[in-house]
Amino acid sequence: MASFRLLYRFVIRPMARERLRTVLTVFAVALGVGVVIAIELAGQAAAGSFHASMETLAGRADYEVTAAGGVPVEAVGRLATLAWPIRVRPRIEDYGMIAGDLRVVPVIGVDLVADGRLAAAGGEAPDAESLMAADAIWAGPDTGYHKGDTVRLILNDTERRFRVRGVLGSAAGGAFVLDLGSASRLLGRKSTVDRILIESPASESVLRAVLPPGCELARFGARTEENRRMLAAFRWNLRVLSYIALVVGAFLIYNTLSVSVVRRRPEIGIVRAMGATRRAVLGAVLSEAAMLGLAGGAAGLLLGRVMAEGAVRLVAATVDSLYVSSRPAPIEVTAAIVAWAMAIGIGAALVSALTPAWEAAQVPPTEAMARGRREYQARVRRWRNLGLGAACGLAAWLAARQAPVGGRPLFGYLAALLLIATGVLAIPALISSLASVSAGCLRRIGAEALLAGRSLAGSLRRTSVLVGALSTAVAMTVAVAIMVGSFRQTVLDWMDDRLKADLYLRPAAPASADRHPTIRAELADRVAKLEGVAAIDRFRAYEINYQGMPATLAGGDSRVASRFGRRSFLGVSNPVPIFRALEHPGTAVVSEPFANKHNVHPGDRLRLPMGARIVSLKVLGVFYDYANERGYIIVDRRTLLRYLPDPASSNIAVYLKPGVDLEAGRRQVEGALAGARVQVLSNRRLRQEAIRIFDRTFAITYALEAVAILVAVTGVASALVALVIDRRRELGLLRFLGGSRPQVARMIYYEAGLLGLLANGVGLLLGMALSMVLIFVINRQSFGWTIRFHWPVAVLLGVLTLIYMATVLAAVYPARIATRLRPIEVVHEE
Amino acid sequence: MKSSLAIGLACAGVLAAGTVWRQALPGYHYHFPGDYFSHSGFRTEWWYYTGNLQTSGGKRFGYELTFFRHALSRDRGSGSVWDVPDVWLAHLAFSDINGQRFYHTERLNRPGPGLAGADITRGLIWNGNWFSRWSDGGRRQQLQAIANDFRFDLNLVPVKPVVIHGEHGISRKGPLPGEASHYISFTRLRTQGTVELHGERQMVEGFSWMDHEFFTHQLTADQVGWDWFSIQFDDGAELMLFRLRRTDGAADPFSAGTWVPATGAARPITSSEFRLTSEATWRSPATTGVYPVRWSILVHPLNLKLQVTTPLAAQELSGGPPASPAYWEGAIDIEGTRQGHPVRGRGYLEMTGYAGKIGM
Repeated sequence: MASFRLLYRFVIRPMARERLRTVLTVFAVALGVGVVIAIELAGQAAAGSFHASMETLAGRADYEVTAAGGVPVEAVGRLATLAWPIRVRPRIEDYGMIAGDLRVVPVIGVDLVADGRLAAAGGEAPDAESLMAADAIWAGPDTGYHKGDTVRLILNDTERRFRVRGVLGSAAGGAFVLDLGSASRLLGRKSTVDRILIESPASESVLRAVLPPGCELARFGARTEENRRMLAAFRWNLRVLSYIALVVGAFLIYNTLSVSVVRRRPEIGIVRAMGATRRAVLGAVLSEAAMLGLAGGAAGLLLGRVMAEGAVRLVAATVDSLYVSSRPAPIEVTAAIVAWAMAIGIGAALVSALTPAWEAAQVPPTEAMARGRREYQARVRRWRNLGLGAACGLAAWLAARQAPVGGRPLFGYLAALLLIATGVLAIPALISSLASVSAGCLRRIGAEALLAGRSLAGSLRRTSVLVGALSTAVAMTVAVAIMVGSFRQTVLDWMDDRLKADLYLRPAAPASADRHPTIRAELADRVAKLEGVAAIDRFRAYEINYQGMPATLAGGDSRVASRFGRRSFLGVSNPVPIFRALEHPGTAVVSEPFANKHNVHPGDRLRLPMGARIVSLKVLGVFYDYANERGYIIVDRRTLLRYLPDPASSNIAVYLKPGVDLEAGRRQVEGALAGARVQVLSNRRLRQEAIRIFDRTFAITYALEAVAILVAVTGVASALVALVIDRRRELGLLRFLGGSRPQVARMIYYEAGLLGLLANGVGLLLGMALSMVLIFVINRQSFGWTIRFHWPVAVLLGVLTLIYMATVLAAVYPARIATRLRPIEVVHEE
Repeated sequence: MKSSLAIGLACAGVLAAGTVWRQALPGYHYHFPGDYFSHSGFRTEWWYYTGNLQTSGGKRFGYELTFFRHALSRDRGSGSVWDVPDVWLAHLAFSDINGQRFYHTERLNRPGPGLAGADITRGLIWNGNWFSRWSDGGRRQQLQAIANDFRFDLNLVPVKPVVIHGEHGISRKGPLPGEASHYISFTRLRTQGTVELHGERQMVEGFSWMDHEFFTHQLTADQVGWDWFSIQFDDGAELMLFRLRRTDGAADPFSAGTWVPATGAARPITSSEFRLTSEATWRSPATTGVYPVRWSILVHPLNLKLQVTTPLAAQELSGGPPASPAYWEGAIDIEGTRQGHPVRGRGYLEMTGYAGKIGM
């Protein structure tokens, strides 16, 4: 009972009394928790999405068979006649685009003859006519199409009209379903299928015995698992980024509690004198933190669910362009997510409350009897902190030099944390030195500025915490801005180097990191023969599986590439000899992400499944590539055609003859493509589009930073309110002594301005150091890209100005409180 | 005669224009082994195995393994391996007489890349991993059928040569030319092999019966179904009878049969020469169809009087695709007299059209 009274006196009553500050603190925690939860939910939804799109109608299966370039159809017959109980379901899996609204939908070819279950689920079996008809299609219930509707789908380079023959059961989701016959014709799978699903108690070795060596047999779901693994690094980094907002929120709890402990020192002294133990005091402060955390966690959960809606779109866009075709699965708030929200809310609150609680417990009972108030800021040991900071900095430097742990840049994250610690620990020393150095300068601005500066330096502890929180947020924003800016510039330089052709052709059907619609060979031949065309480079990409990880295998024309094109290789100044050598069969070049992921070097040999065979390829070089994170293996077109004889192209680079006008060339090409759904992009358009995709990809990181800043600015507002309430007497006295209302307000604004300036300065420096860790440690270890450092000056200036303005705006309300104080009343309070 | 059971797809009448199908017409000359395999000019074709088996310990089993081919179109397709010139349906049933359990399953396939077909060069009629493999000009037929609960591997050796039913090479089913089928049987195949039920493997032996039939038109509009008997007597003779039932309940005049004596030539039986009477029924809980499961048979010219019973009433194949009607096909026991002397036998009975009309 006694402890409850203590709790009530110390925790609940003050919280209720200072409602605004409590609300702001809870809001900051809620934002932090909300961001973490939103990213977690969005990541889950994005990771669940391969399931949602390509597992349409997969039903129950034990195994799946895939192969680079498709599984030869003979494998289907061999599996189906095995002397084991077995159900074999060959599938052709692709995507199409609805011509009207440009919606991308899975288009799946299944055996509508054998799959009676499917027909029954549709309520209506396909009949002889619909099996034969070229325009027969079945719609999933989520497509919005009904029986008898006409749907125009762009498949590869052609638009086709279909009549919906029936609507399938819910398992078909948002997919369109074709019979294998039309699917193989319309999607260009002459003698292959994309996947075979197998339901059988037979062992892997029984099944493997009838499969060609190039086929990969895996437990069903393994492919989804691979995709998840591939996404793991991306999700990890996103997750880490999301915790920044929480860390900033924790700073604020620390600040709130520190202030409230100091203000209640006399009261604490009294209860101690009346017999309350240290543990009881400790418990009371921790309970306050826990309640803030609980409220923040609960509010954060709701906020997170709301923010997840936006986050999932951004995450899915990134996943789609960098990794794998996806459509986000529904957002699911599980019990685990709820528990996690509470745990991180309360956990962050408790951890940040430890120091204030311990300090509260140290208040001696005698203090109640003593007169006056001990200024808590006197306790800051700034030089010891500076020393500690230096040690952290050194540790950060060491951590940045460590290798990844299990493919994850754990030491990189540690280095980032240590760097933040370095900055935070150095802040008190920095502030007090700056205060003495800048006094003259501030005096010249005016008495208000001088007072503001002194007040900040005087309450060093509180100022340090505030600057620490704000500058951490600023630093992370700066770091991410530098990283993304550098990345962007690197990609721009790479495109300058790489994109040399005048026109680029690609099928209208949507491409992504793992799907490569094609252009018919006849069209390419026609373009190649045009008068104004000097050469074309036909590029064909396939999805493959290399040592359990998805990758892209592609073929290009090495002769054209060495004559016209460019690719920069790591450590090689002249790429021409490499292209010459690439014309020999049995050779390949690989992209940098691939080389890093699989630890491949020039001279190594790759064993690669291609069609039914396994082919050994010698690696000639590693090229810079920023087009996808899965990694490329590129061989000469003739090598590719030898094993995967489909002559269609995924895209085509067209080099015009010298002197041929771009528009004239384009008209010629478009004439040759008449009727086909092929996009002709100029070099400039392609670049613009690439950079648009790049920016879309990083939109989520910007959004995360924005939230961290919002949390920090909320903190500044809440701290300034505290500051004003705390200094009622001082402010009252100022007014009593003749200070005008505008003068008091100005002083508050100056304080906010100085805080913002300090935070921006510290944040900029710290951010630069962090960006190095991001670019050269975390990025390299988790994605394997070479990024050249680049200052995105305009972006940084914009961001810092925005933060500064927000900080000053945060002072509006506290300044109003300060000016409304009645000097007489305040002075009489004493 | 044998069931044309509904080929899971509603094929009736929707054929691509231009395909002209061969009719089953009198004067057909059989050539073996070619006529054991496929006749792609005819729309429908089937190979039908049924048999009664027992273990040395006296456990009794019945089986049915059937391969159907139904043509959709003979137009030149797109050249894709997935084109559907024919659909291949197969039925598999297994009767555990002692355990009083009946198992059945079916599958539907296109020819595809080796999914189903009949191939004389490989001596193979198959649908997935169910097959009949012919060697030595039909003097050996090997069956394999695998389901989740059971499988069997049987070696069949004809005791008697192939029998051609009907007259002039056709078995008539209706009054118009072409309303007939080409119909041949191996009426007595000595059978040895293994059956495996729920993982328990047993050696079995017994006798099987094999029908092969191909045609383009068969049932007429006023026929609802049929009752078909194949009986193997202990004394070495066999009897096949089918009765076509009309919508008005009467027996169709084109009902017929064949008598195969222990030695000597087979003799056709016309509808006026026999009489079938159903004496007791079984109601299917699954389809509510009511099937006669006790019969008496009279064949006047042979002075044959038979009582037909079944050791297992629940031998209905149901639960296929919506367009595939249920039918009853199962092992039967026969007792009776011929010329006053007692005869016994076993056989198979097929009854269609009791749970919905058979449409073809």
